[in-house]
This record gives sequence, C-alpha cells and structure tokens, in this order.
Amino acid sequence: MSVRRERGTGRLAAADSPNELDLFSVLESGDGEADLTSRPRARRKGRSASAPRSESPPPLVDAEPGARPDSAISISTLTRIAKDVVEGAFMPLWVRGEVSDFKAHRNGHWYFCLRDESSQLRCVVWSRDRQRIPAAPDDGMQLSALGQLTVYPARGDIQFRITAMEAAGDGLWRKALELSIARLREEGLLAAERKRQLVAFPRRVAVVTSPDGAALHDILAVVRRRCPVVEIVVVPARVQGEGAVEELVAAIERVSRWGDADTVIVGRGGGAREDLWAFNDERVARALAGCAVPTISAVGHEVDVTLCDMVADLRAPTPSAAAEAAVPVLADLRAQLSSCAAAMKGGLQRRTAFARSQLVRGTRDLRSAAQRTTERRRARLEGAAGRLHALSPLATLARGYAVARDRSGKPLTNAASFTPGLHFQLVLSDGEVPATVDGAVEEQKIPHPPTR
Amino acid sequence: MTVVSYEEDLARIERIVAELESDDVELDRALALFEEGVERLRSAAAALERAEGQVRLLVERGDGSFELADSDG
Repeated sequence: MSVRRERGTGRLAAADSPNELDLFSVLESGDGEADLTSRPRARRKGRSASAPRSESPPPLVDAEPGARPDSAISISTLTRIAKDVVEGAFMPLWVRGEVSDFKAHRNGHWYFCLRDESSQLRCVVWSRDRQRIPAAPDDGMQLSALGQLTVYPARGDIQFRITAMEAAGDGLWRKALELSIARLREEGLLAAERKRQLVAFPRRVAVVTSPDGAALHDILAVVRRRCPVVEIVVVPARVQGEGAVEELVAAIERVSRWGDADTVIVGRGGGAREDLWAFNDERVARALAGCAVPTISAVGHEVDVTLCDMVADLRAPTPSAAAEAAVPVLADLRAQLSSCAAAMKGGLQRRTAFARSQLVRGTRDLRSAAQRTTERRRARLEGAAGRLHALSPLATLARGYAVARDRSGKPLTNAASFTPGLHFQLVLSDGEVPATVDGAVEEQKIPHPPTR
Repeated sequence: MTVVSYEEDLARIERIVAELESDDVELDRALALFEEGVERLRSAAAALERAEGQVRLLVERGDGSFELADSDG
C-alpha cells in the first residue's frame, strides 16, 4: 500500500509548521514506497521512539532502516511513523471547507470530505465524538470543523478526525431542530389537540430549572405576588452545558412519576443561543410530551421558539410569564366566588319573588272566582224571589181585593156559601175584618180578577 | 382540600348559578340548588384561605418514593 498523498499536501503542511520541515522531509521522498526505499535520505532528526528497529532486524551492515533494500521498513512502520509525525506536527485546529461525499456508516461513524477550490481532506467523525454535534452535515454545507490531522494506517490516508463542527448560520443546529420537529410532528406530539388545559387554581407547581438561576427567582416572585398560597416544588436540573439534557429529562420524568404537582414549569432565563440548546433537544421535548402533569415551557426571553415550547401544553415567553399563566391572582378568585354567591342569591330571590307573586295572583283569582259564584247565586235567588212574589196572593190583596174565610179559615168562594147571619172573616192585605151576612144573596155575574 | 374539588366546586357553582337564573326551575329545586351552592361556596372559599405555600425541593428516594424537603429558596 502506498501513501496516497498529493505532492502539494506535505509542503503545505510543512509551510504551516516550519519547525517540522525536517520531519516531513523524511516522508517527502516521492510518490511511493519504492522511491522511499531506493532513494533513502539521511534522517537528520529521526525520532528514536518510533525508530523501526523492532520491525526490521538489524542488517549485517549497520545501515539505517530504510536506507537500503535489505533494511527496508514495513508499511505498518512507515504509516505509524507518519501518523506520529503528523499528529505531533499539528495541534487540534479548526479548518473550514465545503462538505462533500458525506456517508454515515452503519457503525455510527461519519465519513466525508472537506474541500475548497483546489484541495480536499478526508474527514471522519467517530460515533463517540458525535454527541456534541447536533446533526450530520449535508453535502455542500460550509463547515468549520475542529479536528486532529492524522494518518489512517489501514488506507495510508491523511485523515482529519473531527470532534466538533459548526456550520455557517447555525446550519447544523437548525438542521437538527428541523429533523426533530419533523419527527415529533410525524408522531403527532405537536398537535394542537394534544394541548391540555392548565389547572385554574393549582395547589402545587413544580419548577424544573437551575436552583440558583434567575428563572426560579422570577417565578417565585410572581407566585408570591399573585397567589402566595400555592406551593412551589423545585426540581433542580442543569439547564445548559454538559449533562443538561440528561438532567432535564430526569427531572421532568421525576415530576411525572411523582404526579403530585398540578402544573410543571420547565425553563430557564435568557442566554446565548447555544445556552438554550438543551431545550431544543429531542429527548427533553419527548420527556415533556410524556409528562403526566400539564406543562408550561419558559425558555429565555421570547426570541426563539424552542422544541420544548412546541411540545409543552403552554408556551410562555419568559419564566415570569410562565408563573403568571400557572397561578391565578388570589384576589380574583375570591372576587369570582363572591360574584357567584351574589348571582346565586339573586337567582334564588328572583325565583322566590316569582313564586310569591304567583301565590298572590292565585289567591286573588280564587277570591274573585268565589265572588263571581256568590253573585251569580244571589242574582238567581233574587230572580226566583221576584217571581215568587208575583205569584203570591198577598200581592192581589194589595191591589184592593179581599178574601172571605169562614171560622175554620176555609175560603168562601161562591155566593151560596154566604147564608144570612153567617159570621166570617174578610182578609185584606194588611189585616182581617170580622163580618156578618145581612141578607139573602142576589146572584149576579162577578168578573174574575185580572191575573198578572 | 384538593385542587380537583376546588375546580369541581367552582364548575358546579357556575352551573347552579346558571340554573337558578333560568326561568323554568321549580321552586323546590331552586331551594335545593341554593343550599348545595352555599355548601360548595364555603368549601371553595376555604381552599383559598390556606396557609402560605412553601418552597420545597422534590427529592426522590432510592426506593422510588418521594419526599418534599425544605428549601431556602
């Protein structure tokens, strides 16, 4: 295997590090191993540590390793030396270039090239180094990458082992965020109908944040002002830097397991964009989405919407705003209760007043109905009495007629009954007169009395 | 006094008010509603009169149980 190395590369590197010129001259012997072995050069500053003595047995003549065919060194030795030399010559440094030929290997490592107009460099990101890199770069992306220049012995390639990278305009973060958003949306975790209603009057509010951050201070101040009867339960978690994601996830899950809070606020005060990044982490967002307690996110100072904001039941622009959303104003609650009390009382009073008026009206109706009945009866009675009166014989007497009765009270209705000397009574309308018949009766026609 | 009962109380009180304000409620029912409403108002108001809330720290024990520790926050 030959060192596949473009002629310019070594010189470029050597020019960047003039002190290492001698070391590079060792390797800069031509296009391949044949040249190296056939045209050896004296190593003026060889590295004893990596001297290839162990690899090639000392020749009979004390020739320098690699100086002659019989002291030829192995490829492994050479590439190892090259690796040592290259790694020793370069500190980890940032390089920039355009990404091409990106491949994510099954084993978790990433391989790609960084290039500019005239050169390219093979790059690798080991899977264990990927943790601090938000997302895989795309081909064509302009990247600054921190890495160690080295040699990959298995291929004899110069290789740049990258441990950190940044894309122009936060490109990687944006990409990571977009990928996460797409996944969460796909799973329905961002759906509006998932949003839960917050408890109007919570008894306990859990706060997942840094215990000595400004966010907690702000939240406590707001809760004390608005509704001091609410208990605040702090669930501490680092909110930025190493371990922040894990601590946030653990704290949110703890609140969920505990289950005794009515609302949970997850957040932190404002900061640089990279300081807020834990709240854009998909793991934190998923923990929030899975939290059994209704969630409020409160990250930073309302500039950027984070992934947590999108997942939470409510997004508050600041921790103070989160506290305002979480707890009511106690005085408002009291006012609400008293207005309910007044409305209830009013409602009942109206209802009883209505009932009373119904009662009064009923009574009146009853009375007037009774009166009408009585009057009707009286009228009937009077009518009957009038008719009765008209038929009464007393009325006839009143018009001047008289009735004659004998001693036994029997009416004497024909002239023959009046025998001379008979004593009888004449009944008039206002009394009776005793009378006696003087002589014999003279028969004559007496007209009937008129009837009314 | 649990939160749920405060919320339930309030929701119930609001329904009672609405029913009492409607015209077609029977008098007997109105009186019963009012009585229940007063009871619920009393319990809701009691929830607002709790002692001042403390700042606590959520501590999870090894056995998975939880404890609220005092905090100086």
